[in-house]
Amino acid sequence: MQRSPNDLSQLQATMRAIELACSSIQMMVNPAEAEATILSFCQSPQPYQACQYIIENSQMPNARFQAATAIRDAAIRELEFSAAEKETFLAEVKQATLGIHGADVQFIGINFLESLVSEFSLSTSTTMVLPTEFHDQCQKSMELEYLKAFYCWARDAALSMTNKILDSDSAVPETKASTAALRLMLQILNWDFRYSKNGVEGAKGRKNVFSARVGNDNNLSRRSECTVVQPGPAWHEVLISSGHISWLLSFYRALRKKFSCEGFWLDCPLAVSARKLIVQFCSLKGDIFHSDNGQMQENHLLQLLSGIIEWVNPPEAVSKAIESGKSESEMLDGCRALLSIATVTTPVVFDQLLKSISSFGTLTLLSALMCEVLKVLIVSNAEEETWSWVARDLLLDTWTALLVPIESGGKTGLLPAEGRNAAANVFSLIVESELKAASASACSDDVDTDYFQASVSAMDERLSSYALIGRAAIDITIPLLTNLFNERVARLHQGRGITDPTVTLEELYSMLLIIGHVLADEGDGETPLVPKAIQTQHVASGESEKHPVVVLSSSILNFAKQSLDPEMRASIFSPRLMEAIAWFLARWSSTYLMPPEETGENSGSGYDNNHMVQSLCSSKALLIFGEHNQGKSVLDLVVHIATTTLVFYPGEKDLQALTCYHLLHALVRRRNVCVHLVALDSWHHLANAFANERLLFTLYSAHQRSLAQTLVVSASGMRNPDASNQYVRDLMGHMTNYLVELSSKNDLKIVAQQPDVILSVSCLLERLRGAARATEPRTQKAIYEMGSTVMNSILIFLEVYKHEFAVVYLLLKFVVDWVDGQIIYLEAQETAGVVNFCMRLLQLYSSHNIGKISLSLSSSLLSEAKTEKYKDLRALLQLLANLCSKDLVDFSSDSTETPGTNISQVVYFGLCIVIPLISLDLLKYPKLCRDFFSLLSHLLEVYPEMVAQLNDEAFSHVLGTLDFGLHHQDTEVVDMCLRALKALASYHYKETSVGKVGLGARAAGSKDQSGQMSEGIFSQFLRTLLHLVLFEDYSIDLVSAAADALLPLILCEQALYQRLGNELIERQVNPAFKSRLANALQSLTSSNQLSFTLDRMNYQRFRKNLNHFLVEVRGFLRMI
Amino acid sequence: MSDEEHHFESKADAGASKTYPQQAGTIRKNGYIVIKNRPCKVVEVSTSKTGKHGHAKCHFVGIDIFNGKKLEDIVPSSHNCDVPHVTRTDYQLIDISEDGFLSLLTDSGGTKDDLRLPTDENLLSQIKDGFAEGKDLVVTVMSSMGEEQICALKDIGPKN
Repeated sequence: MQRSPNDLSQLQATMRAIELACSSIQMMVNPAEAEATILSFCQSPQPYQACQYIIENSQMPNARFQAATAIRDAAIRELEFSAAEKETFLAEVKQATLGIHGADVQFIGINFLESLVSEFSLSTSTTMVLPTEFHDQCQKSMELEYLKAFYCWARDAALSMTNKILDSDSAVPETKASTAALRLMLQILNWDFRYSKNGVEGAKGRKNVFSARVGNDNNLSRRSECTVVQPGPAWHEVLISSGHISWLLSFYRALRKKFSCEGFWLDCPLAVSARKLIVQFCSLKGDIFHSDNGQMQENHLLQLLSGIIEWVNPPEAVSKAIESGKSESEMLDGCRALLSIATVTTPVVFDQLLKSISSFGTLTLLSALMCEVLKVLIVSNAEEETWSWVARDLLLDTWTALLVPIESGGKTGLLPAEGRNAAANVFSLIVESELKAASASACSDDVDTDYFQASVSAMDERLSSYALIGRAAIDITIPLLTNLFNERVARLHQGRGITDPTVTLEELYSMLLIIGHVLADEGDGETPLVPKAIQTQHVASGESEKHPVVVLSSSILNFAKQSLDPEMRASIFSPRLMEAIAWFLARWSSTYLMPPEETGENSGSGYDNNHMVQSLCSSKALLIFGEHNQGKSVLDLVVHIATTTLVFYPGEKDLQALTCYHLLHALVRRRNVCVHLVALDSWHHLANAFANERLLFTLYSAHQRSLAQTLVVSASGMRNPDASNQYVRDLMGHMTNYLVELSSKNDLKIVAQQPDVILSVSCLLERLRGAARATEPRTQKAIYEMGSTVMNSILIFLEVYKHEFAVVYLLLKFVVDWVDGQIIYLEAQETAGVVNFCMRLLQLYSSHNIGKISLSLSSSLLSEAKTEKYKDLRALLQLLANLCSKDLVDFSSDSTETPGTNISQVVYFGLCIVIPLISLDLLKYPKLCRDFFSLLSHLLEVYPEMVAQLNDEAFSHVLGTLDFGLHHQDTEVVDMCLRALKALASYHYKETSVGKVGLGARAAGSKDQSGQMSEGIFSQFLRTLLHLVLFEDYSIDLVSAAADALLPLILCEQALYQRLGNELIERQVNPAFKSRLANALQSLTSSNQLSFTLDRMNYQRFRKNLNHFLVEVRGFLRMI
Repeated sequence: MSDEEHHFESKADAGASKTYPQQAGTIRKNGYIVIKNRPCKVVEVSTSKTGKHGHAKCHFVGIDIFNGKKLEDIVPSSHNCDVPHVTRTDYQLIDISEDGFLSLLTDSGGTKDDLRLPTDENLLSQIKDGFAEGKDLVVTVMSSMGEEQICALKDIGPKN
């Protein structure tokens, strides 16, 4: 493009003006004027030349930035204009991009395309106050009409510069342009392809119109980012069959060779962009490949891999070079490429890829690479993140990507034999490096934050990946673990009393965690099965005792058993080691101890016969810890160890928490185990100590609650319900007696305030609460008796301890849990008693707390007091909600004729007591908020008629909170409010349509004292809800609930609805939108044979209608 | 169940003691503890170990219940801590005298006249304003380790 001198001076003038404006903004001199200058520049038609000039020539980054912005804004305006203009403009860009005007202009052209693509991808677009529908259309037309063309331009541009770059010795302008072209190609491949699937709009293609900026759909749950690229068949020619990839690979290879002496080159932008693009090609997937049994994809991957292999192979040489100063970025990109390939293939295909061009498989390469990285990690042992950390995580993710489908029982089967060896090699190095890390950290003192739970969950992800690798070759890895474990145990014994065991203890700690992960899965509340990989792998020996899993388990059990000996305990079993043992035993027991006896293997789909036989052998060998084998003696051992941690490790809260919450809970989870538990002397001793001895009062009180729960649950193992109930009575009787006796003392008021009495009462209440939480049909009777015995005492304590928050809270929580467990079983008379008790409790609490102000000099004590109040109220709300459930689920034997308690009245009464205590301020506590609204919506749904009976103050409070809740950010809260609204409005509509009053005056609206007419509640909510669904952001999940609330509201207030609809239409300026809106509103209330009734069918129809309506109109009503 | 295992009897002379020993590991947030000879409310408890394979210790953050100052302490969790005997008593407020003393009505019908008004402006005005508005006020007096102070105020409705 030749410029006349005249043009040039004008361009220079523009540039100076912009630079001046930029600097005056920076220095805050006359910013308004400067802004105006820039704004008018941005809005001037066709500013491209000037922009280009500024970008090329200005020394001021700000000015260059403004110019780039101006280009983009202008381009977007342009695209909005006529097609002809657009074509001319794009033709010009194409020319620029292809380098007709030289490399500099080429660079600008490519950059321009890059910003254009990013602007049209919704997730990176800027806010322009245009309807979302517009963004959407732009995105679609970009994807279908332009994206591929842009890609080809970029490709051709890069191609055309190849020789120049390869031939020149120093950096030429083409380098910059070429880098930009590669970056643009990468960016285009990163596009979220929605419309290309066989030309039909897929389900994914429908955009979510309900909230702006939706997250990425292909969000894989991996730590390293690895998105699968699926551009569809239309791209086949461009990407696959054109030889484009082989050009890219050889381009990179040639450059790499040329600059092999210059270490910095690997990190220069051109190299980085080229590698990124190559890695991106590894994630190509889907119908861009022809359906030929994956052959085409395999060829594609092989082609890439043969280019990539130079980056990572031979691993030893690569890592040495990096350690001696070479950049690690190429090697890391190689790892990323392997991860991408692993994500889109199966292990067998993955392994085969490399075999066709070398003597070893890809798995072997992966293993060698990982080993190398681990070796570096072991040697360097650095605290901060180094390249070897990053590489390790990438490679671990690669293993996970390969092994997870196997573990979840996919059809891929096992790793090939060579792959198994590769996995075993990696695993042994992993263990070595973990042991090294453990021994290095053993004596470090910064353990303040490093308590067990945190350290396990932080390591958990990594350990799970390790476990997958270990399980890929159990016949090698498990014997290895056994040897290493036994070695350490022997070392402990030899050095006992002579050397400091700390390092070995820490190594054992680390090993127990690894072994736990390899042998068993986390149950997550269910009974985990023996991991598939362990079940199905062929294990040579037939005898149970020699099964590697059995050998390893026995080693650990034998070691753990030594903790029962006082001397051994003192010298070896530190609290931290015991934590690992308790954790391990919990995890191990859930899977291997007395497993549910299978009546026949499920018809092993996906496994061939041979596998099935092996799998049966393997499971049979593992039954050695079953009920009819060593199970009982192992169970006894576990109980002994658990008791030891509770009794002989005073004050070790973390250890005892593991015992109470993990180990003991794991034991009582299955009834078949409970049957054996209650028959054990060791269990009997534990229960007896808990019920009658002082010792266990020194446990943390929350742990006592858990222990009580565990012991009561174990009662389900008794032979019949009577025996179970008697078990509970024996366990809890002494405790309830103590509370009753204490509460009837004459000097209670004085005695109660003593710290030791407070401690006893607190512990006992926690225990009672634990027992109450264990309520099951089998023990319900005994637990009802337990609670009803102390009902009166509870009220007395509530009075005596009214200033002692800690005790009040425990009292309330006990009642909450007890009522929760009991209410559905109670007979009419019992129900009346319990309900009456709850009401007295509520009244008493309210009388203590209404109008009370805490006075303190300390703001933190005041805020503590506020939190305490919140927790109390939450408990009271839960209590009311629990009472409500009686009306929904009732297992009592009473027939319906017996006059029962009117739960609705009771709960409303309760709500009136609680409501004055709840302020909008308190509703900021999310949990309280949820509880409150779930109770409120439940009440309004089940007893809408009661609303009419509320007094004015309570009524307006209820409505105020509903309005507050509708605008809450928590979807569940909004949902509950919508349900409440639906209930109210439909109740009113149904009542009035049969000539009754419904909510009467409250629905009609009223005049207040000043004569102002205030709207009825349904009018208010109709406005609010319409505004919400049309204009605000909300989750798509709420649409159905909103429809259900909207329909009855519209029916209640038809005239207002008409008026609001008309106003909406009038407000539209654009005539096309106007008529679309009018039509949409019309069909909202008329299509699908919508009628004026509130039955299920009609609600369903309206949901559909509203959904269509919103998809149609929200696109242009909402501005982004 | 044998008799010597029956530990729940309260001691007869209990009222005399100002503090009670309690194992550090059992002390919870919201409980009380004596730190540097001051009665405190526990607002934070955390545990850590002395060395990786050592024993647990508790780290307490307490707030002095009278002067609001923050105090901290670290105790091995199997050792005992002192827990203060804190009592709170409600009195009806009868009068505020000009020399800064309160006149309070006890449960037994007597009066208690030895409690000073707080010196803090804010607390002072909360009590005085309420009383001046003619509300019927109940004050809660907290006492521990020989000190006492008003800790709460409750409006039991207007006099009528």
